[in-house]
Amino acid sequence: MLPDAAGAVSARAAAKPDEAAVIRAVQRGDQDAFEQLVRAYDHSVLRLAMNLLRSPEDARDVYQEAFLRVYRNIHTFRFDCSFHTWLYRIVTNICLDHLRKRKVRREEAAVVDTADGPVDRMDSFEEEAALADPERRLWNSQVSIRIQTALGELTPRERMVFELRHYQGMRLRAIGDVLGTSEEAAKNCLFRATQKMRAVLGDLI
Amino acid sequence: MNCEEVTKALPLYYYGELEGEVEEGVEDHLQSCASCQTEQERQRALAAALDRHALAPGADLLAGCRHELARAIYREDTPAVRRTASDPWGLFREAFHSLWHPGIRLAQPAGAVALLALGFFAARFTGGSFSGASFSGLAPDSIISSIRSVQPDNTGRVQISLDETRRRVVSGRLDDENIRRLLLAAAREQDNPGVRVESVGLLKDQCNSAETRSMLLEAVLHDPNPGVRLKALEGLKSFATDPEVRRTLAQVLLKDQNPGVRIQVIDLLITHQDAATIGVLQTLVGKEDNGYVRMRCQNALRDMNASLGTF
Ligand SMILES: [Zn+2]
Repeated sequence: MLPDAAGAVSARAAAKPDEAAVIRAVQRGDQDAFEQLVRAYDHSVLRLAMNLLRSPEDARDVYQEAFLRVYRNIHTFRFDCSFHTWLYRIVTNICLDHLRKRKVRREEAAVVDTADGPVDRMDSFEEEAALADPERRLWNSQVSIRIQTALGELTPRERMVFELRHYQGMRLRAIGDVLGTSEEAAKNCLFRATQKMRAVLGDLI
Repeated sequence: MNCEEVTKALPLYYYGELEGEVEEGVEDHLQSCASCQTEQERQRALAAALDRHALAPGADLLAGCRHELARAIYREDTPAVRRTASDPWGLFREAFHSLWHPGIRLAQPAGAVALLALGFFAARFTGGSFSGASFSGLAPDSIISSIRSVQPDNTGRVQISLDETRRRVVSGRLDDENIRRLLLAAAREQDNPGVRVESVGLLKDQCNSAETRSMLLEAVLHDPNPGVRLKALEGLKSFATDPEVRRTLAQVLLKDQNPGVRIQVIDLLITHQDAATIGVLQTLVGKEDNGYVRMRCQNALRDMNASLGTF
């Protein structure tokens, strides 16, 4: 689990007692409370969208649509699951739609062809310490392209489960809850995802 | 557990998602099997490579998203009919948006604090008791600003489409730019003269900007409430020598229906003598029907050694 994912989880747990009060205030139409709620979750939502879609424009769209849906529908939230689960149901639905559309269009938005061969255009967003070392940099960009290819092999659902488990540090049970499936099914998704990735990345790792 | 079973279980083992018994089995096997330890290393290497591949959205992207969201929500909350350019709402919206912009927070509990519950969304229909109807989605303290459509269906139910608005409270110091912009918008708030009096009263002491000055001129000329016009006149005292202000004051003097306002305009105009003022006062004496105002006007002309009429 990534350190910041772990941080996000514990911060969420610590914020729980206040959260219900904030949500009730949002339901009464309190704009400040809505802002507070957005700020508590929006960073991890954006990070999820960014890593899944690997495009800042698409991540922006997901962010906007997700929180607008929250704003429009918060009155239907009845506290029968955690707000995090409720929010992530919305976010994952929007992201899955994006991923499925992309599959249909057969478009690999993240990898673009340049004169030097295919390059992950998200490289410019990554600050790597190894950037100064040309050999290491070449190696990293090779791995990066291979990882991108590996992730491209996954079905949108496998991709989502993997993203939520590996990068967002969510438990499989919670992931099943969010995606409307069983823990067992989420487990199978994660297993298939790692198998596929190892098949593509096998010789590199 | 044999090697094949353990290899299959390793990904879930890595993520700590195995059941207790199976997990123990994997651990036992790993202690004594070199080839499965190699597999475990490859699982770790895969995870590490994926970690390096992770993207972290920058602060700029996050700030941009928050800003866009605030705008989108404000568009949702603002009835379309009010969404015209160059209206006073524009000011309010700008100020409102800037509240959301990172780095600008209003609450600073020190010094003179203006606390405004702005009644910008004047209620044409207010939520009373709606017993027997289904109002899913209508927040308890929301205000219905307008009804868009009414559609009966053949089951005896009616679908009403309405615009719902919400109130929020902001607070900050008077010298805060956002508060000032809100006050400028509030000074033009059509439906609530109380809000206008209060806002003009607060702004008149801060009128070092062209924006404030033109708001005061606008108020003194066009505000239907004499209390607001009087407050605006107080604010214009420091501009009594400005030619544009004097032209406006002359206009007000000849057309304003309120004697109190006319008296205050006279007092303002005579602090600075010029030919135009004498002409305006002479015109007023000829048409003024309030005895006291006429007397003040005559005294002023006498003080300036001018004749009492244009006849
Ligand atoms: Zn073994």
